[in-house]
Amino acid sequence: METRSFLTLEDASSEDIREILDLARAFADGRVPDALANKTVCLAFFEASTRTAVSFELAARRSGAHVISLSEKGSAIAKGESLVDTVVTLDRLGADAIVLRHQAAGAAALASRHTSAPVINAGDGCGQHPTQALLDLYALGEALGGFEGLEGRRVAIVGDVLHSRVARSVIPGFLRAGMELALVAPLTLLPPDADALGLPVLSSVDAAIAWGADVLYMLRLQRERMTGARIPSVAEYARYYGVARRHLERGALVMHPGPVNRGVEISGDVVLDASSLIPDQVAAGVCVRSAVLALSTGAVQKVAA
Amino acid sequence: MPEQNGSNELLIRQAHVLDPSTGLDGIMDVRLSSGHIAEVGDGLRGPRELDADGLHLFPGFVDVHAHWRTPGREDEEDIQSGSAAAAAGGFTGVVLMPNTAPIVDRPVMVSGLVRRVERESRVRAHVSAALHVGLAGERLTEMRLLKQAGAFCVSDDGLGTASAGVLRNGMLYARSAGLPVILHCEDHTLATGVVHDGVAASLAGLPGSPASAEDAATATALILAAETGAKVHITHVSTALSAALVGFFQDRAAVTADTTPHHLTLTEDLVSTLDGLYSVNPPLRPGSDRGGVERALRDGVLDFVATDHAPHASEEKELPIEEAAPGFLGHETAFATLYTDLVLSDRLSLSRLLEAMSCAPGRWVGGGGSLAVGAPADLTLVDLSEEWTVGRDTLVSRSSNSPYLGRTLKGRVVGTIVGGEPVHDRTGAKFGVHA
Repeated sequence: METRSFLTLEDASSEDIREILDLARAFADGRVPDALANKTVCLAFFEASTRTAVSFELAARRSGAHVISLSEKGSAIAKGESLVDTVVTLDRLGADAIVLRHQAAGAAALASRHTSAPVINAGDGCGQHPTQALLDLYALGEALGGFEGLEGRRVAIVGDVLHSRVARSVIPGFLRAGMELALVAPLTLLPPDADALGLPVLSSVDAAIAWGADVLYMLRLQRERMTGARIPSVAEYARYYGVARRHLERGALVMHPGPVNRGVEISGDVVLDASSLIPDQVAAGVCVRSAVLALSTGAVQKVAA
Repeated sequence: MPEQNGSNELLIRQAHVLDPSTGLDGIMDVRLSSGHIAEVGDGLRGPRELDADGLHLFPGFVDVHAHWRTPGREDEEDIQSGSAAAAAGGFTGVVLMPNTAPIVDRPVMVSGLVRRVERESRVRAHVSAALHVGLAGERLTEMRLLKQAGAFCVSDDGLGTASAGVLRNGMLYARSAGLPVILHCEDHTLATGVVHDGVAASLAGLPGSPASAEDAATATALILAAETGAKVHITHVSTALSAALVGFFQDRAAVTADTTPHHLTLTEDLVSTLDGLYSVNPPLRPGSDRGGVERALRDGVLDFVATDHAPHASEEKELPIEEAAPGFLGHETAFATLYTDLVLSDRLSLSRLLEAMSCAPGRWVGGGGSLAVGAPADLTLVDLSEEWTVGRDTLVSRSSNSPYLGRTLKGRVVGTIVGGEPVHDRTGAKFGVHA
C-alpha cells in the first residue's frame, strides 16, 4: 500500500487538492465507512492545540482508526523527549500515520525523514498548516457552489501574514483553486518579500472591499503582537485591519482559522453572522482530515466520485 | 495663517528675482493673486503694488525642524512668537517637532495642535507626531490615526532610537501609514557627554560625546531605510563621516538629510568659553567636520538646511555648559549667517543656498519652494546689502539663546509673504504697500 506524507500545500497541484476535497465529500456523505479500520494514528502535539487536535482525533476515530495521543501531560513530549526520538519511537511501535504539531517550521519534514509512516503536518511553527487550508477550501466550496465555484473569486487575506502558518498554506492552496488573492496588513506583519509573492498589498479592509473582495480571510493576531512593537494598539488595528458590519453590506464572506479575538480581527457582532463561515470551517475539518489520513496511509487509493 | 482672500492681489515690482527651481534670475515683477503666483514678467500692473527696488525676492524658506514649545513651555516660545520668529527669518513654512510637554503622540493632540496652528501661526506649520509613544523607543504610536488627525510626519526628535529592531519596525509601520520619518541619529550608549569629545573638551575638562555616537546611529538608520523602503529624513547631520554615509545611501534609499546653520558656521572651540549658551545637540564639531558638512551641502549630498530652532529660557542657558539645556534659536539668523559666512566668502553659491533653504525643503514638505506660476505665493524679500548686529532687541522669538548674539551679519530679511499676504514687514519703508 502506497503511503505519502502530507507536509505542505506548496507542491500540491490543483488535481491533488481536488482529489482530497472529493474524498472529503465522500467521507461527509458516509460513502467510505471505516476506511481507517485497523490503522493506528498517532497524534504528536508538541505545541498546545485544541481544535486541530480534537478535529484530527475525531477524523481518525470516526473512520475506525485506533488513536494514540501524545499531547497529554505526562507523555514523553511533556518530559522533553526530542522530536526525532519521539518519531522513531512511534515508528517502531507501528504507527500507520503520525499527525504532528510542532512549534518550529520544518519539523514535519524533519520527522518524515525518520519514519516510514506518513507524517501529516498539523502545523509547524510559522511554516505550514495544510489541512487548515484544505478545510477552508472545502467550506468555501460548500458556500460558493463547489470547487469550480472558487475560480476567479477574490480573497483578501488580512492580518499577521508574517507569523502565520495558515497564510503560508492558504496562499498556495487558494491560488491552485484559481482564486485571486490580496494581502491586507501593515508592513510590520508582512514578510519582506510580500511584493515578490506577486500579490497586491492593500492598506485596509475598506480597501479590500473596494478591491472587490468576495472573501475576507482574517488571520489571528497573537496576543503578544498587540503590545506595540509591530502594531501600535488594538484600536488602530481593529480600525484598519478588523472586519466590521459595514464591510458585509456587499455580500463578502468572512473566514477565520480560530480562535477569534473578538473586537480585534472581527467585531463581536459579526463572528456568528450569516456572512461568517467560521462554524463551517470547523465543521469541514473532520471530513477533510479523514480524507487526508485515508490518502496518506493508502487506505483509500482512488476516490469514487 | 492669514485667510486667503480671493480678491487679494499684490504686485511686487522691480525685485531681483532669484529662484533655482525655475531658473529665474533678474529684475522683474511678480504678480500674486488668490494666494498663488499669477504672473512673472516686466511692466506688470496691479491694484496693490509693492516697490521692491533694490531687494532680492526668493521662494520662501522652509524649515523642517522647529520647536515652538507648544504645548507646555510657552514661556520659551509659542505658536504666535515662533511663527513671528520664522516669518522674521524669511521662513514661510516649518515642521514642528513633537517633543513638547506633553509629547504629541496621540491623535487627539495632533488634531488640537493642527487647529491651533491654523488659527495662530503666521506661516505654514506642519505638525509632526512621535514615532514611539512618549518618544520612549518601545511602542509604536497610532500612526494611521495620527495621519488622519493631521500629522505630517513622525519623529522621536530629541532622542535617538535605542534599538535597531524597534527602529526597523517603526520605519515599516510609518511606510504603511504613508508618513515620512524624521530621525535624530544618536546612540545614547556612546553619547554620554555634553560636548564633542575632542581637544576642546579635553582642555576644558568637559565630558565628551564622540562623533561615533552620531555616525553609528546614522549608519544604522540608513541601512534600515534602504531595507524597509521608508521615506526617511535624517536631521542635523553634523559630522563629515555621517555626511559621507548619507552620500553612500543617496541612490540606495528614499533618504534625505539636512544640516543646521550652526554646524555649518560654528565649531567646538566655542566650548572653551564653558558658556551654557553653546550647549547644543548634536554638539559643535571640529573644523574638519564643519568643512565636511559644508562640502556635502555644496555637493547636494545633504539636501537642505534646517535650523533646529530650539528656544530656551534664560534659566536653562545661563548655566555652566555641563548643566545647560542644549539648543539654539535658528529661524531669525539662518539666512544671514549662511549668506555672510558661506556665500560672501565664496564657499557656497547664493543659488545653492536658496536651493537648500527654499526649493529642496519646499519639495520635501510639498508644494513650496518655487516661484513657478501657479505655485503658492510664499516669498521672502531680502536686502543683501544691509548689515545688522544680532541682539536681544532684534530677536522676535520669546527666547534669546542665539549663539550669534553680538555678531554683525550681512543680508537681512525685510519681508515675508505667505499665501500672497505679508506676514512680516520689518521696516515698513521699503516694504510698504502703495495704494
